[in-house]
Amino acid sequence: MSVIWQEKTHGVLKRKTRADRTLALVFVGVVVAVTLLGAIYLSVVAANVRLSREIWQMEEEMMALERENQALMVEVARLSSIPVLQERSQTLGFRAAEEVIYFSLGEP
Amino acid sequence: MLRGPDARLRLIAMLLIAVLLLVLGQLVRLQVLQNARHHATVEVLVSREYALPEPPWGCITDRNGALLVGNTPVYDIGAEITLLRGADIEALAAELSPYLGVSEEALVMALTLPPGEPAAPRPYIWRPLAQGIALSHTEVLSLTRYSWLTLNPTWERYYAEGTLAAHTLGFVNQSGIGYGVQASQRRFLQGLTVSQIGQVAVNSNPLPDELAADFRFPYPGTDLRLTIDRTIQAFVEGELDYAVNEYQAEGGTIIVMDPRTGAILAMASRPSYEPSRYPDYAAQGENHLFWDPAVSIPYEPGSVFKVVTAAAALDSGRVDLDWSYVDTGRLEYGGVVIRNWDGGTYGQQNLEGLLTHSLNVGAGQLSTQVLGPDLFYQYVRAFGFGQPTGVELTNEAAGLVHLPSDWDWSDSYAVTNSFGQGIAVTPLQMAAAVAAIANDGVMMEPHLVAERNYPDGRTVTVSPRPLGQPISAETARILSGLMARVVERNMPEARVPGYRIAGKSGTSQIPGVGGYDPNAVIASFVGFGPLPNPEVLIFVKLDRPNVPPSMRWGSQIAAPTFQRIATRLFVMLGIPPADFVAGQ
Repeated sequence: MSVIWQEKTHGVLKRKTRADRTLALVFVGVVVAVTLLGAIYLSVVAANVRLSREIWQMEEEMMALERENQALMVEVARLSSIPVLQERSQTLGFRAAEEVIYFSLGEP
Repeated sequence: MLRGPDARLRLIAMLLIAVLLLVLGQLVRLQVLQNARHHATVEVLVSREYALPEPPWGCITDRNGALLVGNTPVYDIGAEITLLRGADIEALAAELSPYLGVSEEALVMALTLPPGEPAAPRPYIWRPLAQGIALSHTEVLSLTRYSWLTLNPTWERYYAEGTLAAHTLGFVNQSGIGYGVQASQRRFLQGLTVSQIGQVAVNSNPLPDELAADFRFPYPGTDLRLTIDRTIQAFVEGELDYAVNEYQAEGGTIIVMDPRTGAILAMASRPSYEPSRYPDYAAQGENHLFWDPAVSIPYEPGSVFKVVTAAAALDSGRVDLDWSYVDTGRLEYGGVVIRNWDGGTYGQQNLEGLLTHSLNVGAGQLSTQVLGPDLFYQYVRAFGFGQPTGVELTNEAAGLVHLPSDWDWSDSYAVTNSFGQGIAVTPLQMAAAVAAIANDGVMMEPHLVAERNYPDGRTVTVSPRPLGQPISAETARILSGLMARVVERNMPEARVPGYRIAGKSGTSQIPGVGGYDPNAVIASFVGFGPLPNPEVLIFVKLDRPNVPPSMRWGSQIAAPTFQRIATRLFVMLGIPPADFVAGQ
């Protein structure tokens, strides 16, 4: 017969049993608290990492859009540059004005 | 033999403690005793310099918002060649060659591991393959399948109008050194690039917790709106090319500015260069082309400077329109004898005659007899000579003005400087000084930047800044009238029908080793109009025109160029002729 069994069946000091129970409760409490704190820490870290990644991705998207925007600006500038406009206007039959006449227009 | 539950429990507990101690021991060994070694190994594997894509530099537009300098998206391409162990390098080189514009042989060399480097201790070797490669989306996607290839997105400056305003726009090289407004305004134009050392993933992007630490994101550069008008600039450059070609000049400069604000509408010089190809010029040893003759290369202004001498004399109150002198054709002062440009004697002359006939003797009389050196140079300094104008361009020269207090002073300077000899000024200094006469005596700081547009949406307008008032408004108006009569009576080449123009020509000699070059001159003309409220000033300078000596005067070759530009410019700027204004 084990000692524990003997203690249970033959009666042991109740004070000792109470102390053991308290110790067990404290232990369980500590374990639960540490687990909770760990879980909170991990979730905060995970959220932080996820947020950082999202920021990084957004920043990369912004950069990609910036590149597209700049490429389009350059294309617009190329198409509206003076040599291109000059060639286009000459093709359309425009030529430099030989005489400039000013008209005085009344107030509208 | 272990008997009873207590003994067995103790045994299990001891075993568990032993295992725990073993684990703890290993932890101490790895984390404490061997910490430095393992840390170094990990550092080599995952710690690397990383950067977010470089932000673009600020764009530069003309005063109407037309793009002058922008950015083309390109890629710098490299390879982590340690990841290529066992790969068919020649096949890869053949595949990549068309994308990168690099020969297969060069790629094979770049992609091959150096002998003796096949394994650790150096697990990471990166090599650049090509720079500034423009790739389409499809090409980028096609290249990203090579995990060992690094595509670093970057930018290349794009000059929308090619060589237009090359000297003004300039460039900045990889080391941050450059010319023109881009170098001068680099602190605004260049964005904030973020580059730091940290832990990166396989794709060379930083690990997320790197970002959670102290990390700054890139910031694009500030856009600049210039005072330059690209249409006027293109027209002026066309006229400059025509004049240089027509008179077989070695070079030339034309400046168009608004005398009321100091805003430069156009500034062109020849010889010029193509800013996007600056490395080619540098490689060919043609760096001298980068120096802007308008602000960096002083010259002796010649007779144009007589307007400064006349302004000083008038403003001092020591002469007025009734003042006169007897022109004997020669003046001896400070050990030198000066003569008029044609060696002629002009007899009794007043201020108008002095300017109309451009008399050196008369100018010398004013600086030496009427003003005296001290007062004359007070005015010369007040007009900004001998100091940079402050325009937003790099390498601006101060010019050379000898002052009576200088150790190398000679009295002869006082007489020769009065007609623009022995004094060195930049074209922009000369234009700014005459602009003060056009602007009721108030000298405005010449400027190129009209507005700064920050990436956060803020706009800062650059206000015109007065530099001072070298002469009174009354003096300026009298002198403007005199200069207008010079054009009306003696210089039909500069007249613009319907508009009252004030101007002065100059033909200056070019100093060299052992004296002035007897065969070369600089022909110039500066004028403004329409009077009485001048809105535009045009400065024309042609260097070493190769025409017969009798035909190379400023009034003969620079004035007609001024005339052509002014005639068209008044139309472009919507300035109606005087008779139209009067008849309204």
